[in-house]
Amino acid sequence: MADAAGRVIRRTEYILLAATAILFVVGLMAGDTFFFRLATESLIFGGLALAVDLLLGIVGLLSLGQALYFGFGAYVSALLLKEVAPSFWLATGAVLAASAVVGYLSSFIALRSKGVYFALITFGLAQVAAKTVYNTRELGASDGIIGIPIVVIGTPFGGLDTANAPVFFLVTLGVIALLYGLTKYLLATPMGGIWHAVRANEARLPFIGFDTLGPKRAAFTLAAMIAAVSGALYPMLRGFVSPELLYFSTSGNAVVTVVLGGVGTLIGPLFGSALLTGLRSVIGTWTEHHQILIGLIFVAVVVLAPRGIVGIAIERAKRRAGEQI
Amino acid sequence: MTALFDSLQFIYAPQIINGLSIGVAVILMALGLTIIFGLLDVINMSHGEFYAAGAYLSVTLLGLDLSFWLVLVLVPVILFPAGFLIERYLIQRVFHHRDRHILTLLLTFGLAIVLEDAYRLVWGANPMRPETPISGATEFLGIYFPQYRLFLMAFGSLLILGVWWVVYKTPAGAIVRAAAYDRDMSASLGVPVKAVYALTFAFGVALAGLAGVLLAPIYSVFPTMGKDFILLAFTVVIVGGLGSIKGAVIAALLLTQLQSISSLFISPVWSDPLVFGVMVLVLMFRPAGLFGGFKNG
Amino acid sequence: MNEPAASPILRASGLSIHFGALRAVDDVSFDVPRGGITSIIGPNGAGKSTLFNLLSGSLKPSAGAVRFDGTDITALPPARRLRRGLARSFQITNLFFELPVRENLRLACQYYEPRVKLWLPVARNTRAADRTEQLLESFGLGKRAATPAGALSHGEQRRLEIAVTLASQPKLLLLDEPTQGMSHGDTADTEKLIAALARDTTVLLIEHDVDLVMGLSNRVIVMAQGRKLTEGTPAQVRGNAEVQAAYFGDKP
Repeated sequence: MADAAGRVIRRTEYILLAATAILFVVGLMAGDTFFFRLATESLIFGGLALAVDLLLGIVGLLSLGQALYFGFGAYVSALLLKEVAPSFWLATGAVLAASAVVGYLSSFIALRSKGVYFALITFGLAQVAAKTVYNTRELGASDGIIGIPIVVIGTPFGGLDTANAPVFFLVTLGVIALLYGLTKYLLATPMGGIWHAVRANEARLPFIGFDTLGPKRAAFTLAAMIAAVSGALYPMLRGFVSPELLYFSTSGNAVVTVVLGGVGTLIGPLFGSALLTGLRSVIGTWTEHHQILIGLIFVAVVVLAPRGIVGIAIERAKRRAGEQI
Repeated sequence: MTALFDSLQFIYAPQIINGLSIGVAVILMALGLTIIFGLLDVINMSHGEFYAAGAYLSVTLLGLDLSFWLVLVLVPVILFPAGFLIERYLIQRVFHHRDRHILTLLLTFGLAIVLEDAYRLVWGANPMRPETPISGATEFLGIYFPQYRLFLMAFGSLLILGVWWVVYKTPAGAIVRAAAYDRDMSASLGVPVKAVYALTFAFGVALAGLAGVLLAPIYSVFPTMGKDFILLAFTVVIVGGLGSIKGAVIAALLLTQLQSISSLFISPVWSDPLVFGVMVLVLMFRPAGLFGGFKNG
Repeated sequence: MNEPAASPILRASGLSIHFGALRAVDDVSFDVPRGGITSIIGPNGAGKSTLFNLLSGSLKPSAGAVRFDGTDITALPPARRLRRGLARSFQITNLFFELPVRENLRLACQYYEPRVKLWLPVARNTRAADRTEQLLESFGLGKRAATPAGALSHGEQRRLEIAVTLASQPKLLLLDEPTQGMSHGDTADTEKLIAALARDTTVLLIEHDVDLVMGLSNRVIVMAQGRKLTEGTPAQVRGNAEVQAAYFGDKP
């Protein structure tokens, strides 16, 4: 990655971290639980957006059904917490393993197709899953699963109570930061280079010795795991899961988040998620029609600045540094 | 033997006819989608919302005591310029971008979000249902069919034939197909490609709106009606092959029959997964659908 | 020129591919001897590029076989062919245009490293990194290393294209019209470059510029309408009456 882009991304990371720290202290002083729950939710959906960005911004695959894996993680986590044991480690560990399998297997279907077909088939896959969950009584059908017990996370330093909003916010922050760090690390490996190359010119790769299906499958599986682990946190926050988590609106919102924040920047989606969650909650205080405004903002971004907020900042920095774009 | 005929007559026949009327409706939706894709390479994610626009407009216009037949003409006339403007002033703005496929998809997706919430804002979230313009039922082979459904099938079939005729038998259709086949060549031959794009998009939008008017009396009118229906339309278009008119018609008839006949044996809630399953299978073995684009005839 | 005694690096036998009724390549057989430059010439539509696609694995033949370095590679996909030492360049510049020049080369050099290292930081892939810097240097692209490939001049892009193709140190290099769209000066440079390449590796060249071909090649294969018309040394080919008629007909 070029220098200017790296600098902007680093700066965005610092800004986000600083803002989080300030808001955390403010929230603690105000003793406002609602605020922490909102921030936690923004991180969880930020994780889903991160998965979408890995596919769209890095590999060039538009997934319109990432909610499938998010919802899968949420449901598996909810079932384990409720039916087996209220253990954070069991739930996240099992979701990680199960989503790797599910992601890998579904990649065989999704990656049969390219371009818009890929978008539509991921859309279809998620829709089938959503309808299936919606109609399965064992999964609570349209009501979902409620009554998920409060989880106390066992650590060597004592238990962390997820019912404590600031504590669970920090836990979520840790998990999402880990996912972000892992993805960022992978982008700095040759595998990350191949992913970028798939987006840039997939047809050329075989002629420098790389099959493209394998790396695409790896990215797809990884994106499924990121979405699923983010989803696994959801029932711990809300105490329930419902089929809406798998709906197209969830997948679609993740795409909106990515495009608004900055496609292919990884930090952009997290930034976008914080922004959109905040916006929704602010607009929500005076109208329930926040989707109109968010839709209009989204259309404006796609038409005027398809690189998103962080993308624009990178573009400017590059221009200032005299780099070619 | 009589038992067989009875089951054919009283169980299968109504399902088949029912499936046919849904099939015709789906074709009307799918035609617009597939023509827009065939010419512009644009996956129109807001197509379902244009269908809903047609339905909502018909509710409002019928509320003004206009006759159904007038509304049937008025709605496409209102939606056509709307479609034209959207293509010209929104889609064209991202059309020449390197990521055109993705950006136009995102753009129309954003439009869908706005429209859906706008319907909720203007008309409320509760379902509405205009009065059926033709009441009564006709006996056919010992079974009664609602006359409006029969009208829908007849009128819909005429429309489909009309679209086919326009695309394949008129100079305007020839221009559209030529532009789809080779944009630059057509432009150099003096075809006003930009106008053709906008007009074709508008045509598809008007068609979706027309389907909305026709179906509003059968299904209710509600904000997410487009989203619920577009899934089936997309499936049809993918199975038939993006851009293929013939493929859309055949796939729509096959899939809606599959849906309605299978609902005799399995719970109808599984009909969507069944249809998607077929789509996935088709894509796995024929990634470009059953038929190629309409460039190939 | 002498016929090399060793086994050929590449042998095409009875290669055919049909698109519907069109026989784009029709029963073409030839050997590429080890070392030196073998060229394929022929008028437009003779099937040269299609033949290249068959050799490099972009297309599967309807009939016939390709043997490379003693093994049958007819069924191998392009990536596996490259890993055996068969690399190709493209007539229309085919690079990772959004990625910097250095990254284009680094990706092409990654081939050297064990697969596990795909998951380790780029900096740990020292062999690929060294080879990348070496190529940047020898192709005079060092100053442009951080520039996206898409922002290079046409001549630079053509050079990068060859550098990328060469990154894997192939045993056989398929060059598809490397001078396409080049200025006179650039063409002369490229001619020198190809001659230099042929000292280390075998080159199979498709070229439009007949003078360049005749000056460079050890062997020339002439194609017309999907078939092989003749082959031989440049002198033999020039003297061939059929070739005169089919190809040099308009030349004095």
